[in-house]
Amino acid sequence: MVDAMVYAEDISWAKQLASASKLFGNAVLITTTAKETKEFSRYYKKVYVIKVKVFEPLSISKVIEKVLSEEKPNVFVFPCTNKGRMLSGLIAGKLGLIPITDVIGISKSGKKFMLTKLTFGGNAKVDIEIELPFIICIAAGSFKEAEAGEVGEVKELEVPKAELEVDFEPRKMEGVSPEKAEIVVGAGRGIKKKEDLNLVKELAEILGGAWSVTRPLAADYSWTDNWIGISGLIINPKVYIAVGISGQPHHMMGVRGSKTIVAINNDESAPIFEESDYGVVGDLYKVLPVLIRKLKEQRGR
Amino acid sequence: MKALVAIKLTYDVNQIKFERDGTPILDSCPKVMGEADKCAVEEAVRLKKKAGAEIMAVTIGSSKEHYRILRDAYAMGVDKSVIVRTENPERLDSLTIAKIIASLNNKLGPFDVIFVGSGASDTHSSVIGPMLASILGYKLLANSDKILFEDGKFIVISTLEDGQYKIATNPPVIITVTSEANEPRIPTIKDILRSKRKPIDEISLENLDVKTKELTLKNLTRYVVPRKRIKIDATENVEEAVDRLLKMLREEGVI
Ligand SMILES: Cc1cc2nc3c(=O)[nH]c(=O)nc-3n(C[C@H](O)[C@H](O)[C@H](O)COP(=O)(O)OP(=O)(O)OC[C@H]3O[C@@H](n4cnc5c(N)ncnc54)[C@H](O)[C@@H]3O)c2cc1C
Ligand SMILES: Nc1ncnc2c1ncn2[C@@H]1O[C@H](COP(=O)(O)O)[C@@H](O)[C@H]1O
Repeated sequence: MVDAMVYAEDISWAKQLASASKLFGNAVLITTTAKETKEFSRYYKKVYVIKVKVFEPLSISKVIEKVLSEEKPNVFVFPCTNKGRMLSGLIAGKLGLIPITDVIGISKSGKKFMLTKLTFGGNAKVDIEIELPFIICIAAGSFKEAEAGEVGEVKELEVPKAELEVDFEPRKMEGVSPEKAEIVVGAGRGIKKKEDLNLVKELAEILGGAWSVTRPLAADYSWTDNWIGISGLIINPKVYIAVGISGQPHHMMGVRGSKTIVAINNDESAPIFEESDYGVVGDLYKVLPVLIRKLKEQRGR
Repeated sequence: MKALVAIKLTYDVNQIKFERDGTPILDSCPKVMGEADKCAVEEAVRLKKKAGAEIMAVTIGSSKEHYRILRDAYAMGVDKSVIVRTENPERLDSLTIAKIIASLNNKLGPFDVIFVGSGASDTHSSVIGPMLASILGYKLLANSDKILFEDGKFIVISTLEDGQYKIATNPPVIITVTSEANEPRIPTIKDILRSKRKPIDEISLENLDVKTKELTLKNLTRYVVPRKRIKIDATENVEEAVDRLLKMLREEGVI
C-alpha cells in the first residue's frame, strides 16, 4: 500500500509532483514514457511504466485503475496538462471523487488538507478544505523540483489494447521543444507579420533555446501549430522571454513554472509586467535587434 | 441520432475587477456563453445536416442569463432545450455537474453523442467530459479541434502536448470541443425572433437523483504571482536598457 499515486510523462513534472506529494507520505509514479525511467525512479518509491505506442486515455486509465486496486493510494496527483486533466477526470468519474484542478498549494491540519487552487482563468485563488481520499491536478511551477534520491524499482505493465482507432503524428518542432528548453522566447500579437517571427527565432537560437507563441498567433493566424498556455503547452524553463505579449492569465498559466520571466512590451501598463521579474518597456522592433546584436557580440559570432 | 450539448454561463474573466482587499467583484462582471461552448453548439447543429440528429441543449442554473444562453442556442439551431434549475450553480463542483448531465442522459436520452466545451473560461477544469465518459461508459474524444462524422463514426483531430492525434470511434461518445473547432454561426434576426417563442423545459435539481458532498471553499481572492517586477525603460536609450537587462540576467545566472 502506498499513500499517493502520481502520473507524469516528463522528468520536470515528475520532480515537481514528487515534491507536491511529500505531505502525503510515500508515492509511486505511473508513466507512459519508456525512456528515462531510471531517472524517474530517483524520485519515487516505485515507478510503473505503461508501455504504449500511442496515448489513448481510456485504455491507459484502465491500467491505472488496476494499479490503484493493488496499491490503494489515498491521493492521486496529476499534472495540469491536457493529458493529466483527461486522465484525472476519467479516474475521478470511476471512483466518484471530485478532481480538484489547478492546485498551487497544499497544507495539512490534522486529518484535513487545505488545497489552494486557481480559478477565474488564473486571476483568483481559493482555498478548499478536504479530507482523504482526493484527486488533484497540480498547476505548473507551483512546486519546486524535488531532490534526486537513489535509483528505485521500475515495473513494466502490460500494453493495453487501444480502445479507439488512433493515428498519431508527433509534433514537428522547428528547433528545440519549448517543454525541454532552458530558455524559451514567446511571441505575441505585438509581432505584426509572420516574417517578423524570425526576430524571435533568432533570439531563441542565439540563446540555445526554443520559441513559441500565444494562442492567437497559432490558432487565429496559423503562423505555427502550437502555443503556450492553459490550452496549449505548459513550460518550466529557467527563463521565459515574452515578446509583445499582454500577459492574459490563460497564457500566463502556461509559463508560471519559469524561474525568471522577462517581458518586452511597449505598453507600460500591460499586465505582463505584474508577472515579470524584468520588464523592458519599449518597442520590440527596436529592442530585439539590439538584444540580438549584443548577444552575438558576446558570443563572438 | 440524438445529441446533447451542455453550455455554461461563464464569467468573462478578462473583465473581472477586484476590491482593494482582493475580493473579486462578481456582480458586475459580465457573463457569457463560453467560446468553446459556442463551438460545441455549432458542432451539434452541424450534425443535424450530417446525420439528421435531434439536438438538445442544457444548462445548469436559474438566472435570466441562463435562459438567455439557451435562447442563443435555439437561435443557432438546436431543437430542444432544458434548464436544470438550482440557485447557486457556481457552487457546484465538477463531479456534481458531470452527474447531473449523466442523469439527464438517463432521463431524457440516451444520447448518442454529448458535446461539452473543452474548458469553460472561468473554471477551465476540463474534467467534465472525461468524468462523463467514465460515469456513462461512453467513449471519449477529448480536446477536439476538428470533428468529422463519416459512415456512422466520429473522427476528431486533437492537438496535445506531444503532437496531433486523429481518433475515430462509434457512438455513444462524449466529445469535448475546443474553441478552435469552428467558427460558430451568427444567428440572423429571424432566427433570434424565432428563438424567443421556443419552450424551455425545466427540471429542478432536486428531481434528479444526484447526491453530492459540498466542498468547503474559503478565502476567494485575487491571485498575484510573486515576481521581482523590475522595470527597465527602453523607450529612449535602447542600448543602455539592453545592457542593464543582460547584466541582471547574467548576475542571476540564467543566461
Ligand atoms: C478558454 C480560453 C483559453 C485560452 N488559452 C490560451 C492559451 O493557452 N494560450 C494563450 O496564449 N492564450 C490563450 N487564450 C487567449 C488569451 O486570453 C489572450 O487572448 C491571448 O493570450 C493574448 O495574446 P497576446 O498577448 O499575443 O495578444 P494581445 O493581448 O493582443 O497583446 C499584444 C501585446 O503586444 C504589445 N505590443 C504591441 N506592439 C508592440 C511593439 N511594437 N513592441 C512591444 N510590444 C508591443 C501590446 O502592448 C500588447 O500588450 C485563451 C482564451 C480563452 C478564453
Ligand atoms: N454549470 C454548467 N452547466 C452546463 N454545462 C456545464 C456547466 N459547467 C460545465 N459545463 C460543461 O462542461 C464544460 C467544461 O467545463 P469546465 O471543465 O468546468 O471548464 C463546459 O464547457 C460545459 O460544456
